[in-house]
Amino acid sequence: MKERLAIPNLGNYTVALAAMVDGMGAEPWWSTYTHDHAMSLGIAAAPESVCLPFKAHLGHFLEADEAGVENAMMVNSIGACRLNYYRGMLDDTLKDMGRKIRLFGLGFDGFKPPVFRYFDPPIIPLLRAVFLGIEKIRTIDTIEIQTAFTRARELNTGETSLLTEHCLSELCGIDTKKRVQVFHKTVRERFKAIAIDKNRDPLRVGLIGEVSLLRDRQLNRNLEQILGHRGVETKNFFLLGGEIGNNFGISMGYKQQTARQLALVARPYLGCEVGGHARDSVAHTIHCAREGFDAMVHVCPTGCMPEVSIRPILRKVSEDMNIPVLELSFDEHTCALGVITRVEAFLDILQNRRRKGLTKAKSRGTS
Amino acid sequence: MKKIGIISLSDRKSGFQTGHASTRRKTNILLKGPKNVKIGIPRAFYYHSYPGLWECFFRRLGHEPVVSPPSTQATLHKASAQTETEGCLPQKLFDGHVLSLIGKVDAVFVARIISIVKKYNCCPRFGALLDATRAGIARGVPLIPIEINETVAPLSKTLMKLARTTLGADTKTAKLAVKEAIEAMAQHHREEARRQREQTPGKRYLLLGHPYTLHDHFIADPMIKKMAQLQVPVELMSFAGSRHIKPGDILWCVFNQMYHKLHELDTQTYAGVIQISTFNCGADSMMADRFRRVCRQKGVPYMLLMMDEHTGKAGLDTRLEAFVDSLSWQKTGKAS
Ligand code: SF4
Repeated sequence: MKERLAIPNLGNYTVALAAMVDGMGAEPWWSTYTHDHAMSLGIAAAPESVCLPFKAHLGHFLEADEAGVENAMMVNSIGACRLNYYRGMLDDTLKDMGRKIRLFGLGFDGFKPPVFRYFDPPIIPLLRAVFLGIEKIRTIDTIEIQTAFTRARELNTGETSLLTEHCLSELCGIDTKKRVQVFHKTVRERFKAIAIDKNRDPLRVGLIGEVSLLRDRQLNRNLEQILGHRGVETKNFFLLGGEIGNNFGISMGYKQQTARQLALVARPYLGCEVGGHARDSVAHTIHCAREGFDAMVHVCPTGCMPEVSIRPILRKVSEDMNIPVLELSFDEHTCALGVITRVEAFLDILQNRRRKGLTKAKSRGTS
Repeated sequence: MKKIGIISLSDRKSGFQTGHASTRRKTNILLKGPKNVKIGIPRAFYYHSYPGLWECFFRRLGHEPVVSPPSTQATLHKASAQTETEGCLPQKLFDGHVLSLIGKVDAVFVARIISIVKKYNCCPRFGALLDATRAGIARGVPLIPIEINETVAPLSKTLMKLARTTLGADTKTAKLAVKEAIEAMAQHHREEARRQREQTPGKRYLLLGHPYTLHDHFIADPMIKKMAQLQVPVELMSFAGSRHIKPGDILWCVFNQMYHKLHELDTQTYAGVIQISTFNCGADSMMADRFRRVCRQKGVPYMLLMMDEHTGKAGLDTRLEAFVDSLSWQKTGKAS
């Protein structure tokens, strides 16, 4: 029997990661969001003052261990933020608790990442799996974009979210690149089939901030859906396709999102890379202001070093360019109701601005 | 006193609107030549990381450095209305120091520090510090910016650039100033080391923290005083040799140094380790756990003291007393 490998959460994109892991000769253990049970495990085991995503990851792996999963994989980063030390600390904590799960990093140790050495996947199927994964990432990007567009306009609330789930679970089952491509083509049609109000001109809001928070609906209390169901078209700025292009210089069709371009946009306000996605947050805010978005929502875990430290800058951009920014920080005590209240109040303000004609109502045509 | 012509915010804004090319940050054009500009240095972060350096540097260039007074509760109070609530305590203190300088000086000196030691980095807050200060508390106030990134250029080069471009000094003066400033810092470090050697006979406690927490009047002083009262010698973690540090998997240079220091501890000379952590410090939250683990391995008792705006003196005293007492009992218990 194949050994199992728990992979970290990356929202809906975990579907694609799972496909890649599958090609590595391991059986993936994953979920698109952190479960309640995992969350409580993580909160109990982690030091109190570490940030929320750490607790989520820890909980996730503890849950995996309870389920008898033998291995786990964690991403590394070389940035200045805490993410850099997640793996080491996860490892220590798991060992202290006497858990058996083996944790691999993705870092290169010698030539191959240790996880490859352990599973030793043959190269051809691995490559095939990687390409399959990339194709799936592209498809998920499309699903995400379509979801955001349709959800804001749907006549029967909830239909779009349901379809998204359907699409994702279907995508899970597809295992060749060709068929993913075929599926990709049908995605648009499927979303078109949902009855929408064509005349509605929804508020457009950009979501920026910390990755885990943007992508894990358990952590952000389903923020995207909250917004969508209140008739707001969201643009989540963490599209993995764009992100990969950003980090490795591979073009995935997001010309405006390479790290260099973002740096250039953010330059007048922020002259260096802070760490995490802080600079991107600033750049996207500027972009969105130019494109006539109604507002931005900046989400981050409480005390997140890079994102919190750029808040004064976001405020300045917001004033200079006339774009409201809602700052939400989340910790384990944040409850959905509180978020809803704040979001609703914010949306009232935005509607008001629209009525008064304070928002630039230009180029509102989206695909 | 002459006004300083640093690119004002409105310039930057208009440059911004006309497109990318013109937004390249031009070197700040401090008027060539004006002597004796009053330069405010906040007594926080980089003031403590580079002790003695900045005052000497600016003075040698013919300016007048003004260092903000040591932090107190009032400093914090001053900042509280404007500072970011989720920032860490040192950040809030920094904001307070900047605010206390505004109006008293011609320009405030603010650094963006990306790395203090080559190939290592700092807390992300340091990277955003300059821009956040400019956009936040020091809006519209002339700033003297510097970007310190040892990975790209050594400190002396960075200082040279600051002197030549922003401060408009001629090469000869600049060179001299840089040399003397760096020497002043080295001198400061030597002094500190000597003082340390003299006053710590026998078993001592190691006080662990960042340079800007250990040397901050508000954060560490109450503890140091209390320890003196209890008549236990303490050693402050020193970052003097910081230019050459040992490689390790911790990329934050300060923490790497602490980590190695802890690894070299021996139970003969150190009675215990007290780490001063500041509220909402993300780096501490990640590292404290690790440090505790190292200390446990070494058999040196470890305590974490969290400081925040409201930490009362009484609570602090009690914890320190309890820690010291329990350790001395342990010792006597063993002896008998
Ligand atoms: S290391 Fe901690 S105390 Fe220092 S600036 Fe960063 S968060 Fe603040």
